[in-house]
Amino acid sequence: MSKLRNVAVVGFAQLPVVARDEHRTATEMLYPVVRQALQECGVHRDGIDYQIAGSTDYMDGRPFGFVAALDVMGAWPPRQDLHLEMDASFCAYYAWVRMQAGECDTAIVVGHGKTSEGDPQRVLNLQLDPYYQAPLGLDPTSTAALQASAFLARGAATAADLAAVAARNRNNGVRNPDNQLRSPTTANELAQSPWAVEPLRQGYLPPVGETATCMVLAAEGKAETLCDKPVWIHGVDHRTELQTLGARDLSRSAGAKLAAERALAMAGLAKAGDVDVIELMAANPAEELILLEALGVDPRAGKPSINPSGGALCANPVMSTGLIRLGETFRQLSGRAGEHGVAGASRALAHAAQGHCLQTNIFWVVGSQRRWS
Amino acid sequence: MKRPVAVVGVGQTHHTTRRSDVNIAGLVREAVDLALRDAGLEHKDIDAVIIGKAPDMLEGVCQPEQFLAGALGAHMKPLLRVHTAGSVGASTALTAVTHVASGLYERVLTVAFEKQSEGNAMWALSPNMPFVAPLVAGAGGFFAPYCRAYIARTGAPAHIGPLTVVNARDNATRNEHAHLREPMSLEDVMNTPMLWEPLRFGETCPSSDGAIAMIISSGDLAKKGPRKPAWVKSGYSYAEAMWVPGRDQVSPKAGQVCAKHVYDKAGITDPWNQIDTAEIYVPFSWFEAMWLENLGFRGVGEGWKAIDRGDTKFGAHLPINPSGGVLCSNPIGASGMIRLGEAALQVMGRAGAHQVEGAKTALGHAYGGGAQYFAMWIVSSQE
Repeated sequence: MSKLRNVAVVGFAQLPVVARDEHRTATEMLYPVVRQALQECGVHRDGIDYQIAGSTDYMDGRPFGFVAALDVMGAWPPRQDLHLEMDASFCAYYAWVRMQAGECDTAIVVGHGKTSEGDPQRVLNLQLDPYYQAPLGLDPTSTAALQASAFLARGAATAADLAAVAARNRNNGVRNPDNQLRSPTTANELAQSPWAVEPLRQGYLPPVGETATCMVLAAEGKAETLCDKPVWIHGVDHRTELQTLGARDLSRSAGAKLAAERALAMAGLAKAGDVDVIELMAANPAEELILLEALGVDPRAGKPSINPSGGALCANPVMSTGLIRLGETFRQLSGRAGEHGVAGASRALAHAAQGHCLQTNIFWVVGSQRRWS
Repeated sequence: MKRPVAVVGVGQTHHTTRRSDVNIAGLVREAVDLALRDAGLEHKDIDAVIIGKAPDMLEGVCQPEQFLAGALGAHMKPLLRVHTAGSVGASTALTAVTHVASGLYERVLTVAFEKQSEGNAMWALSPNMPFVAPLVAGAGGFFAPYCRAYIARTGAPAHIGPLTVVNARDNATRNEHAHLREPMSLEDVMNTPMLWEPLRFGETCPSSDGAIAMIISSGDLAKKGPRKPAWVKSGYSYAEAMWVPGRDQVSPKAGQVCAKHVYDKAGITDPWNQIDTAEIYVPFSWFEAMWLENLGFRGVGEGWKAIDRGDTKFGAHLPINPSGGVLCSNPIGASGMIRLGEAALQVMGRAGAHQVEGAKTALGHAYGGGAQYFAMWIVSSQE
C-alpha cells in the first residue's frame, strides 16, 4: 500500500439511544451532539472545513430531512457539504477520501434519523427490489431469519451459539450508558424468548431506537491540536453485493470478507485477530457470526474483545449504528470508554453494514499510533 | 486537485414523461451501458460506483441503490449514494471526481436518475414539517416568491421569464435527448396558465423520466482512451443554513462562494468572457436571470438585461443551456448531472446539433433545497 495521509478521529458525541425522543425533532436532537463534539475538540464551527450527513428520508417520513440539519451543523457562512442516504459510517469514509485528495483538513460527520416517526419494518421492506421482492412482504427480520437459517443449515453454528452471542452482547451492553438495553441476561433466558421469525428469537434482536451522532475527523497536523489522543485511521474499505437474496450465498458475506481483507492490507495487518477490539454492526447474532467467520476470528477465543459496547443488539439507531461502532473504537483507544473500556487497547476494527442480509459492508482499522510516518 | 481528472464517457437516455418500456433498473442500466460504450470501457474497468437521486419518495423505493447494485455493475465494488436535493446530480459527479483525485481510484462510474412517472412529485416535494405551514405547492410554489423578490429588486420587465423559455425551447429543438422539443413563441408562453405568480405553466420544468452516467478517470488513463476527454479543472459543493437571518434567497451566499472557489481553482477571473458556455440549473424561468448574477456572469441587477439583449441565446456571446436545460427536461435527480455532462460534451466537441462552436471552457451548475445546495464544475478541452 502506498503512503496515504494520516487522518484521525478526534471527537465523537451521541445521545443515549431511546425508543422515542418525544420532545425533539431529528434536527433538535442533532444540535446538542454537534455542540458537544465541537466543544470537546475546542473548535468553533468556523474551524471545520467540511461537513457530511447520513440520513434517509424514508426513516424521517418526509423528503429532505437532511436539509434542516444544515442549520444545526453550522453551515453559516456557507460550508462545503455533502449528504449520503447511508449510515454515517459511509459519510466518514467520504470525508476521509476528501482528506486523501487534500481537499480538507477537518470535517464533521453526523448521523440522524427519527426512527420512531414510522415503522422501520415496513420502511425497510421498501428497500427491496420493488418488482420481485418487496411485494412478498419481506421485512428485515424475515430476511435476517432466512440468512440465519442458511448459516445454521451449513452447520457453521448451532442454535445455542446464537443465544450465547446475543447474551454476550447484552451483558457487555450493561456497562455502556448510551445503550437502550442495559439489563443483564443469560443465554438460557434469551433462548426461551418467543420467536421473532424462526430461527431468530425476540431476545436476539435489537429494539427500535433513535439517537443523533457527530464525529470530528482531522488530518495530521490538525488532529493533534484538537484531541489529546487522536485515533488514527490505518485502513478502510467498503463493498456492496447484489441485493437479490437468491443470487448470493446468504450463509457467507463475500463483500464483508473482501472489504475486511482490503482494509487490513491497507493497515499492514496480516489478520483481523491482531487487533484488540472489534465493533461489529450486527443486528442479530447470526450476522455477527457470519462477519466473524469472514474476518477469520473465533468468537470463543476471548481476544480480540468483540463488541465491548454491547453492539447493535443493545442499541440500533438507524443511520447512526455504524458510525457508533467507529465512535466506540475511538472511545476505546483514547481512554474514553469508561466502564466498558478494554485495558491496553491500541488497535481496533470497526464495521458498519447497510441493506438486507449484510448486503453492503465497510471495515475500518484504527490505531492509537499514526499509520504512515 | 491533487492530480488531473477527466470525463472519458457520457451516456444519457432520452428524457420523457413516462418510460414505460423500462423499469427503474432498466433506465439506469441504459445510461450506464451508453457511458461505458462511449468510453470504450467495460464494467471490469470500473473501480467504484457513485449514484445520486432526489428524494426516494419520488419512486417509492427506500435507498434504491441497494436493489440497483446489479444494474449498476456494483457487485463487490464500493457503492455510495448521494442525496443533496436538486443539486444531487452535480454533487454526485463531484464525489466521483474526488474519489479519482485522491489517487485511491482510477476510474469511477457515476450515475444519476429519476423515474418521476413512478410516483407523484408534487406530493413528494411538499413536505409537512413541524412548525412550518405546509405549502402543498411543490417546488414551484416554494420558489415563486424568490422570483418575485428578484423582480421587485431589479425592476426586470415581465417578459424576461417567458423570453428565457423561448430561448430554452429553441435550444431543445437541437437536442435529441430533450423532453420538450417543440419551440414556443413569447406569446405561446404568455398564454399558458399562471400557476404561481410570476411563474406560468410554460415557465415550469416538466416531470421527466431519465438517467445519465459518466465515467470519471485519472488523467493518465484518460490520455490512453479512444477519445478526447473533458478535463475537470475544478469542482465544489457548498451548502448554507435555511433559517439564518442574514440569508439572501435571491442570490444565496453559498452559490457565490462556490462559484468563486470553482473559478479561482480554474484560473477564471472574468467568467463572462472566459467561459464559452454554461449549463445552469433553471427549473423555473426567472432563475436564469438570477443565476447569471449569483454566478458572477453579470453584476447585480444586470442578469435580466443580458437575456433581454439576446446575449445568452445559442450562437450569442454566452450560450446558456444549449441543451435546453431543466426547463425542457427534468428527471430531477439526474438534472444536475446532465448539466455537468452537457458541459463536458461541449468541451469535448461532441454535443451534436447543439454544439457551441469552439467551446473550450464550460461551467456545469446545479442547485437544490431552498436554494441552499450548490454544486458546480469547470471543464476544459485542455489539461
